[in-house]
Amino acid sequence: MALFVAKRLLMALATVLVVAVLAFLLVHAMPGSPGAVSLGAGASQDAIDQLNRQLGWNDPLVSQFARWLGDAAQGNLGVSLIDGRSITADLANRLPVTASLAAGATILSAVLGVALGVTAAVRGGLLDRAIGGFVGLLVALPAFWVGIIFVYLFAVQSSVFPATGYVPFEVSPQDWALSLALPVITLAVGGAAFIARQTRASMLEALQQEHIRTLRATATPTWKILYVHALRYASLPIVAGIALQFIGLFGGSVIAEQLFAMPGLGQAVQTSVSTHDAPAVQGVVVIATVVVVAVNLVLELATKFLDPKLRAS
Amino acid sequence: MSTAVTERRDSTPSAAGTPVLDVKDLVVRYGRGRKAAAAPAAVDRVSFSIAPGETVGLVGESGSGKSTIGKAILGLQKVSDGSISYQGKDITSAGPAQRRALGGELRAVFQDPNSSLNPRNTIGTSLAEPLRLRGLSPAEARAKAEDMLERVGLPREAVDRYPSQFSGGQRQRISVARALICDPKLVVCDEAVSALDLSTQAQVLNLLADLRDERGLSYLFIAHDIAVVQFLAQRVVVLYRGQVMETGPAAAVTENPRHPFTQALVAASPVPRPAEQAARREARESLGVRTGAAAVPGPGGCPFRLRCPLATDLCATERPALRRVGTADVACHYA
Amino acid sequence: MPRPGRAALTRLSRHRLLGSPGAVAGLVWLAALVIASLTAPLWLPFKTEDQDFTAVLSGPTAAHWLGTDELGRDILSRIFAAAAGTLGTSMITVIVGVGLGTILAMLAAGAGERTETAISRVTEVMMSLPGTVIILAVIGAVGTNIPLVMAILGILMSAGIYRVILGQAKSLQSQLYVDAAKVDGLGPLGISVRHVLPGLANTVVVQAALIFAVGMLIQAGLAFIGFGPPIPQPSWGGMIQGASQHVYDAPWMMVPTGAVLALTVLSANAIGNALGKAPNAAAPHLPSAADRRQRAKAVAAIAAAARDAEETGDAGTDAGAKGTLSVRNLSVGVDNAGTGTGVQLVTGVSFDVEPGTVLGLVGESGCGKTMTALSLLGLLPSGVSATGGQILWNGRNLAATPDKDMQSVRGREIALISQEPMRALDPMFTVGYQLTATIRRLRGMGRSEARAEAHSLLEKVGIVDAGRILKTYPHQISGGMAQRVAVALALSGRPKLLVADEPTTALDVTVQAEILSLLRALVKDTGMSVVMVTHDLGVVADICDQVAVMYAGHVVENGRTAAILDNPRHPYTLALLAADPHANHADSMPERLATISGQVPQPKDWPAGCRFAARCQFAGSACLEPVPLLPSSAGDGLVRCVKADQLAIEGMDWLATDVPAGRLLPVSPVSSATPEPAPEQDSIVEKDLA
Repeated sequence: MALFVAKRLLMALATVLVVAVLAFLLVHAMPGSPGAVSLGAGASQDAIDQLNRQLGWNDPLVSQFARWLGDAAQGNLGVSLIDGRSITADLANRLPVTASLAAGATILSAVLGVALGVTAAVRGGLLDRAIGGFVGLLVALPAFWVGIIFVYLFAVQSSVFPATGYVPFEVSPQDWALSLALPVITLAVGGAAFIARQTRASMLEALQQEHIRTLRATATPTWKILYVHALRYASLPIVAGIALQFIGLFGGSVIAEQLFAMPGLGQAVQTSVSTHDAPAVQGVVVIATVVVVAVNLVLELATKFLDPKLRAS
Repeated sequence: MSTAVTERRDSTPSAAGTPVLDVKDLVVRYGRGRKAAAAPAAVDRVSFSIAPGETVGLVGESGSGKSTIGKAILGLQKVSDGSISYQGKDITSAGPAQRRALGGELRAVFQDPNSSLNPRNTIGTSLAEPLRLRGLSPAEARAKAEDMLERVGLPREAVDRYPSQFSGGQRQRISVARALICDPKLVVCDEAVSALDLSTQAQVLNLLADLRDERGLSYLFIAHDIAVVQFLAQRVVVLYRGQVMETGPAAAVTENPRHPFTQALVAASPVPRPAEQAARREARESLGVRTGAAAVPGPGGCPFRLRCPLATDLCATERPALRRVGTADVACHYA
Repeated sequence: MPRPGRAALTRLSRHRLLGSPGAVAGLVWLAALVIASLTAPLWLPFKTEDQDFTAVLSGPTAAHWLGTDELGRDILSRIFAAAAGTLGTSMITVIVGVGLGTILAMLAAGAGERTETAISRVTEVMMSLPGTVIILAVIGAVGTNIPLVMAILGILMSAGIYRVILGQAKSLQSQLYVDAAKVDGLGPLGISVRHVLPGLANTVVVQAALIFAVGMLIQAGLAFIGFGPPIPQPSWGGMIQGASQHVYDAPWMMVPTGAVLALTVLSANAIGNALGKAPNAAAPHLPSAADRRQRAKAVAAIAAAARDAEETGDAGTDAGAKGTLSVRNLSVGVDNAGTGTGVQLVTGVSFDVEPGTVLGLVGESGCGKTMTALSLLGLLPSGVSATGGQILWNGRNLAATPDKDMQSVRGREIALISQEPMRALDPMFTVGYQLTATIRRLRGMGRSEARAEAHSLLEKVGIVDAGRILKTYPHQISGGMAQRVAVALALSGRPKLLVADEPTTALDVTVQAEILSLLRALVKDTGMSVVMVTHDLGVVADICDQVAVMYAGHVVENGRTAAILDNPRHPYTLALLAADPHANHADSMPERLATISGQVPQPKDWPAGCRFAARCQFAGSACLEPVPLLPSSAGDGLVRCVKADQLAIEGMDWLATDVPAGRLLPVSPVSSATPEPAPEQDSIVEKDLA
């Protein structure tokens, strides 16, 4: 088990490193040199060249990357080309926003999705078909469109929730929760639908297993067969599905942050890509990868722990 | 990897004496690396040969390596050591090209009639596949396929139907037709009848026996059921954990087994006559063979020693060589 | 020559597509959208950039059917002008993603373990990446070059598609027909193209439809946050973005574009789901609540019928002594909601099992043995239920007992062991947990008491190191050991009757002998009775006191085992024994075994007369009438054959060669000895005698 964890950690590290290299190459392919981006349209070519030299833009790529990696390892992701802010500090401010969003949306979609999926599989009949239709509709609705509708319904028509903005937890936990409500629900709609489908399929497969018949033959109460044995068997693919949803939702936060004007990582990517702010893009790609890979690793270990066959080996 | 088909000149040159198949000291290990090397081999130094027109039965329980031997002969499993020669030619590691060059002389019938025919192809397409690979035209292949279907007792029109339109027994007959369509010399039957019900099993066994007599075929008949092997085989090889325990004429091995394992195997196979079965059961219980449930022997020595009533310290240290007892060869120090 | 294969495949797909109204609607919508967008320049009422300042932010009007945007541009025109680009570029993602995923999966499945590990590692990494963020970084580098961005999206998504397809590609590679092709000398590429790819086709199409939908959503999302096609060009995401600015003053603008996008995604999903639906999934062992309600109705109907019969005095519940199982005229059928009962699988089965005895239910597959056995516990699979008759047990008719009342019978009075011991145990829990939980439930014991009982039960079933086995998971023990554990589990409620469904079929013969000895000892020690389902006449001879031979859903012969196996009366029993190679010694092994031509008829094809007549060497015109189960001339058994006595007197044997049906009575000979293919089977006798 320890060996397994070590192996996975190493692989996670390798993943981050590969992404760092790729991101580095990508931002180097961005149009415009950092000098040009930083100094804006009116700058003279000399000034641009001078700044490029200063930033080490003309050094060999390998040494540039080595320098970036060395700094990054010490927590320094450089400064923004646009306003000279520390990227590390900026992302540190933004991470909690996106993390709250993604975690909230994942938890909400997991709860809703598992509940819907289990209900559909267990109840069957008309209810199963109704849930199936509803879930099919949710999968097809674009998140941003749903978000706008929510804004219209809950913020414009009846101002239950604030339409936009983010209140940090430290400022007011209550307002924090309220400000997160709409974006989290918006993101969770699609996620819940996917998890519901996964859960229903996994539960049905679990109920087709022969050991379910053994349990019935030994007078096991129905609730225990369903919620202890079948759900336990189905939990592996469900957790794997939730892990995938987290990755998707983390990315989906770009749209939610734009829609609800939330100062998160997604907004940072969007603005830095629009403004060709190379080091900022590089930083946010790497940080997003680190977060996603870390959460994925935890969920993967959870899956392994749930499976006696893998736990034993 | 060298896959040259080399002529073996050291073997006895007489044409009649050349066995159809000669397996020498075959070893198969699963997996790679140190772990696999330390684990007991799935097939451990197995040797036997099949004469032209002869049927050899390969009997053993699950994990005995019997199917692995069949796969190795058919080129479906990598061989770790030893050699397999077909009509004097070494085919131990022959690739697809050499397999094709074997000219359809070495064929197979597999266990599961549900998966041995591609459900998306018509019977005609499946039967024609080996012929088309040997360059026959579609029309020739189709005609041959129809003839062959007729020979195994199915209507010629079956060429245009799909496997799902046939029962398990009929599909297995189609598999036999597919194996025999290129006039092979040797057919490996891997549990070819064990998925079938009694009455259809008998149909397929009869068919295999008829075709053998008609065409002078050799079979390697792999099965877990010693009575089925007894029906078809002239000689029997009994395997346990990858090693040959006993080999000899079918009647001798099945009626008068010498190895304690063969004795246990034969005694455990129930007969449908209550009085006789009661006697057999008592005989079996008096053998004193221990349950195999938890007995995993370490390397070296006799693999059966932990279950064997005759085992001594010698059996733990020295692997018994095959020696002649009566008409059979038995790998036991005390048989 | 893959043409017939492909034809069959399209036939299948077409069938499944047309079976789903959603998928048909989806196809129609997508086709309409493609045609409309391709012909857009010909019919669109406005150009995409036409601005109508008289109608800014208008709702639907006669001039602007779907309203206008903030610049007075016609929304209908813009939606259809944008459609071609959206659909086309989404197809790029589909082609790149599904193509790459499929190729990688086929490569991994065909090229061996090492390649598979390498490819799987790479895809695992790809799947754990924040895809959206990376796509945005790509846009930063290459700009809003939508086709290129969608292609890279396809690469990122190929990892997930690979994972879906790999499992299927591997299962196709492990098919025996692939082995057969390898024996033919077909190389890896040939196998992939001829045997693996055609098998993947349906999954590939399903994935393509689903990826198409996801591609559209992501593309619209990108356009929504400002990374759509260059500005004047309309895009669905961009239009929704524009609409979102006016959600306060013109909420209508949200509706048309959102609806069209959602409908298109819905269509692609509906097609994918219809194609991807497993054609015949296995029935759940615990039916859904809706199915359980259905089942309860069937049970209530039997109970009502039994009550009626009792009132009219037809069949008294003449329950035998306590502990005797009496099955009377039991029938089992497929549920058929609406039109009464569906196909019958078991009809008119009757037998008795005295305490301390073993009854064998024997016959070939498809004869209703397992259905009969499972009905004793009320554990028939979903969609199948007892449709009539009685299962009398301790004064109760179990066939008419509601599921909740069966709970007091299951485990405590009647227990079950099944064919695959590994699959009968829950892989997620230790042997110890499964045993103790069952003992606590069935015997009301405390935790530590149950633990001790579990230990002693395992020892009772012959497990030496019970302590260790209690701590293991099912996958850590051998099949024989697992069957012993399953027996212990069945014994934990101290049942009076054990239903054993082919308990040794999956085991090696030496292990089978051990399990049979164990069962025999248990019967002797505890006085419980056993109903043993088997197809093996040797097992019957070994352990059964009584035997009921089943053929095509009913009992054709029953009685004492010794009487029936040594002196069979029914031609089917006669034939089974003659076909069994175990019945012969090496010195008397015949040249040919006896066979029964044809196969067991499907339940829907059962004739009104003798169900075995079509395959029987002795059949004659009398066999066209329904045959009752009558006392056999010898012994105390029953036999369902009008010729049983005649055969016994004449000492007729089932001939070893393929003999046409009906050799006893002169009937015109069947064209040849060759068994006919399935569908024509049953008509032989009727045809000849008509």
